[in-house]
Amino acid sequence: MTAVEPHAAGGTRDQLVDALAALGSRTAEHGGAPAVRIPVEALEQATQTAASTPDVRLADMFAADGDATVLRLVWADQRDKPGYIVTETEIGGGEYPPLSGIAPAAFVEECEIYEQFGVRPADGKPLNRVMLPPHDGAELPTLGHRPAQPPAEAHAPHLVGGQAFEFPFGPVRQAGVESLYYGLVTSGEEVVDLYLFTWHKHRGVEWRLRGKSMREAIFLAERAEGLSAVAVGWALAAAAEAAAGVTPPPAAARTRAVALELERLYNHAAATAALCQATGLSVGQAAAEIALERLLRVNAAAFGHRYLFGVVEPGGAGRAPDAEVLRRELPGAYDELRRTADALLSTNSFIDRLEACGVLTAEQARRLGLVGPVARATGLATDARRAPVAGGGPYTTTPPNVVTATSGDVFARFQVMLGEAAESAQLISRFLDEGTAAECVPLPGGGGTGLGWAESSRGEALAWVTLDAGGRITRARLRPGSARNWRGFDDACRSRNVFTDIPIIEASFWLTVAGIAR
Amino acid sequence: MPLWFARGLRRGVVTTRYPARSDPSAASLPTPPAFRPRQLTVRAVDQMVAECPGPALSRAAGTLVFDAGACTACGRCARVAPHAVTPSGEFELASTTRPALIKLIPILGEER
Repeated sequence: MTAVEPHAAGGTRDQLVDALAALGSRTAEHGGAPAVRIPVEALEQATQTAASTPDVRLADMFAADGDATVLRLVWADQRDKPGYIVTETEIGGGEYPPLSGIAPAAFVEECEIYEQFGVRPADGKPLNRVMLPPHDGAELPTLGHRPAQPPAEAHAPHLVGGQAFEFPFGPVRQAGVESLYYGLVTSGEEVVDLYLFTWHKHRGVEWRLRGKSMREAIFLAERAEGLSAVAVGWALAAAAEAAAGVTPPPAAARTRAVALELERLYNHAAATAALCQATGLSVGQAAAEIALERLLRVNAAAFGHRYLFGVVEPGGAGRAPDAEVLRRELPGAYDELRRTADALLSTNSFIDRLEACGVLTAEQARRLGLVGPVARATGLATDARRAPVAGGGPYTTTPPNVVTATSGDVFARFQVMLGEAAESAQLISRFLDEGTAAECVPLPGGGGTGLGWAESSRGEALAWVTLDAGGRITRARLRPGSARNWRGFDDACRSRNVFTDIPIIEASFWLTVAGIAR
Repeated sequence: MPLWFARGLRRGVVTTRYPARSDPSAASLPTPPAFRPRQLTVRAVDQMVAECPGPALSRAAGTLVFDAGACTACGRCARVAPHAVTPSGEFELASTTRPALIKLIPILGEER
């Protein structure tokens, strides 16, 4: 990596765009997200400029194949007017400047881009295997050229010495838990190091999306991370709407928002149950699962699906909520969760396990680009609902209170989730009062590119789409919140924790493996 | 534990009947489609096959082939041919053999 002098841009998003444009040139916006073309020789400096700007984080990095491989970096600006900036860089050869030394959040994507497109950072450092299984063979399709050399079989080499040993755990775990392999380095009880293998259930969703119509694509996107079906579906739909230059009808956008808040409610209830299970509190677990089941039944009664599939459609919403059912049933279901939470908050043996467990600092969260309750529990007020979509969107007129905490531990995450659940119940009521509907506007042909986002219960979900003239996808990128936050999990586990803290930390992150192995 | 085991043997009941009682919330669950053969036309079937996001529907000569094992109960087929499709209300589809989930439905409707 060459040394680059830090040069932070000024205090607004426009000033940051200008600073980046001074290194390259402005291109067309992607639905409210300014875009800047950066030549490859200025990529390090551009990355340094954005990464050193306070309250700006690297939200995603991905590639697309055309005549040349194009590398796109998405920056989230969380200052006064939150929004996104996209930089685009053509990669001529098989290498590009290493970026994860400047923005550590880029490392997982550097690995993924190498697996999928065969281009890699020029510093020759080992790259982890993140998506493709080791025994994939040449027949497993990739999005671009296959890498000249396979990535490191398992992980970046590290030393295990002294009394420490490596304890393998997974990928098959207890019933109902997704495939995930922990490489746990321990001295007996203390967690010395932890790495994850997440490729066991890679499904090639982005590869499958190529050539699909948007209607077909939403169906797959909902299933990329089923517990964030609304958020990921909304992000992809919003990307296509930005590409086509259309705005969903306001009542349909509010329908999406009602579904998104219901999704947040049931996920936070599920995380509460998981926290009880991880701390051995069976009665609390049962109580939280009763609340969870009631919330899922409310979803089914209001939208016809327990997990809210089929609500989001390109250009609007395919199903409208039964407002009467929601007004009648939701307060009772939410109160069930609230009563359980109140009981847990007065249970010392529960709180003791959460406090000072799995600590992350705001600086760690910022450098790794973490999102959602995990980031907000460190004090970062990052929330994609604050970034207005084209036409404003439902959260412009009904803005959410962003709940934060400061201690960065499991207890802080739990408090953030409880605060958000209360906020979601109020938001749903307000959206229903403003009116909801199942309406769609058609997406015109002509092609285009767009960026979309939504705030899932796990954090910001991003999607990028390029449509051809017939409205079919040539490249789609899905980046659920889980794909972001797993990179902070090992740091949280290493922070003065023991073996038995790991399930508690995992429950407090409440991520899915499907979200990263998509 | 032996007491409970002996009690169950004596009464001849080791568990409750399934389901112990009907669950009203099941009425709002999405369920796979049921087809009305006399309302099915080749054109309607082809529209449903095109609309199905998975491999659950196909047409073979004069028959609609419905693979309940591949159906996600998304309801799209009912939306394009509401006169020929209704929700089955059946969501307990377990079978001991895979072919038992594949149903052949004759296409008996006439094109209008």
